[in-house]
Formats: sequence, structure tokens, C-alpha cells
Amino acid sequence: MIAHLWDRLAEAKSRLDPVQSKYRVVFEDPATPDEPAKVLVPDPNWLACALEGNILPPIDTYQRDRDVADGEPKEHPYAEPIGPMTEEEAIEYLIMKDICPSVWRDYKGNRTIMRIVPVELIPTDRSFRNAWRIAA
Amino acid sequence: MSTLNVSNITDGTTTVGTSYVVNGSAKAWVNFNGTGTIAARDSLNLSSLTDNATGTYTVNFTNAFGDGDYSYAGVGRDGGSTAASVSLEGSATPSASSIKIVAVVPNVALRDTDRLTLNVFGDLA
Repeated sequence: MIAHLWDRLAEAKSRLDPVQSKYRVVFEDPATPDEPAKVLVPDPNWLACALEGNILPPIDTYQRDRDVADGEPKEHPYAEPIGPMTEEEAIEYLIMKDICPSVWRDYKGNRTIMRIVPVELIPTDRSFRNAWRIAA
Repeated sequence: MSTLNVSNITDGTTTVGTSYVVNGSAKAWVNFNGTGTIAARDSLNLSSLTDNATGTYTVNFTNAFGDGDYSYAGVGRDGGSTAASVSLEGSATPSASSIKIVAVVPNVALRDTDRLTLNVFGDLA
């Protein structure tokens, strides 16, 4: 019997050291072009689970659950966990999980609206934060 | 992983139903630094944080909730001395898989805040 995802996460937290990612995902949402670029930051405990393996469910279960109505049973908490990922694979998984498909799958424009960047390329000076855009 | 199947927990004097423990526990929580390159200090059941703009963040859950009708609460502190409150972002509705929050400092409005916490209680998917 497969343990519920939350139980696996709680057990992993007691066992694994958190891992700070070397990467961030910078993206703009084409549905809201006037908003500044957003920065996705992987959670260190989540990344530890991704690298360890046998904790997180397949990404396609999350994608199918997007179409499941609230209150209806969802697939991802009960799915067979997948094996370990590299950090790069984990970032790709996270993009597909936490960023809207209109950014990483459906966008047909000719401007770059998403980039995976090393953390040191993110400005630590927050001046003009509300005007951040992805450089060409 | 082994399972202890009991309906009550007792210390010999006080007895409590396990349903109180399960239903009363936070199913997701985070303590994070919302300044600079934002980063979680510690968390449970989070997959990522998104820095949307000044003082505006999205918290993404690894194990989604059953729906968006969960309970959430958070507090914060800015710069080591100024209290900050955590609120739901004005135009956002919590979803089963994420919640968009803002950090508000009195007389400043939205602000990047160095110590923010959020606790989420509810039924998991």
C-alpha cells in the first residue's frame, strides 16, 4: 500500500537535509503583460525530496489533477512515487507543476518570457522591483 | 513506513482523539525571507515560492488541498522592528494547490519583508 503523499513528505522532512537550489525560474505571464517578471524559488525541503526519489508523484498526475473539480478525489497524493531526479530535472518538473501552462507550453509569441537562471543572476537590490522584465 | 492505527492518544492522565490531532495540525507551513532573492527558512508541504512583485508572493503546495476553502494565517516582521501583516492578495482566490499572499507594513502598504510566516489548515486532497 502506498503511503499518502503528505505522510511521505512529513517522514522525509524528519530524515533529509534541505537543499538550496542553485537555480531560479524567471517568467512573465502573457495573461498579465503589465505585471513585472516573477521569480520561482524551489523549496529546499521539496528539492531534497526530488533528489532523494521515491517521494514525489509523477508530474502527469498533477497535470491531470488540474482538470479535477474541487472536492473531487485527486490522483497525485496516491500515485506511485517516482525515482530520484537531478536538480535540472527537478526544476523542469517544478516549472510544469507550479507555473501556468500558458507560460511554458502554450505561449506562441516571439519574446522570451521564461528563463532558468543561476541564483547569482537575480538582482538582490530590490529597487524598481515592480518594473522587472526579462532582458532580451 | 509503518502505521499506528489508534483512535485515542493518552499520556496516562489526559486522553485525546487522534482526529483532533489530525484535523488540528497545520497541513502546510512556511517561514521565509521575502527580501532580496527570496528563500524559505523552513517549511512543510511546499514545492516553491513565487516572488510576484514588491511584497506579493505565491505559496505552492506539494500535496494539494481538497479545495480552496482552507484556513490560513500568517504574521511577519520587517527589518527587525516593524510588524508586518500577511493578507490574501486582493484579487486572488486561494486554490487547492496555491495561495497568493501580500506582506503589508502599516503606513507603507506592500513591502518586501524579511520574516514572513504562513500556516495553512484544512483537508488535504
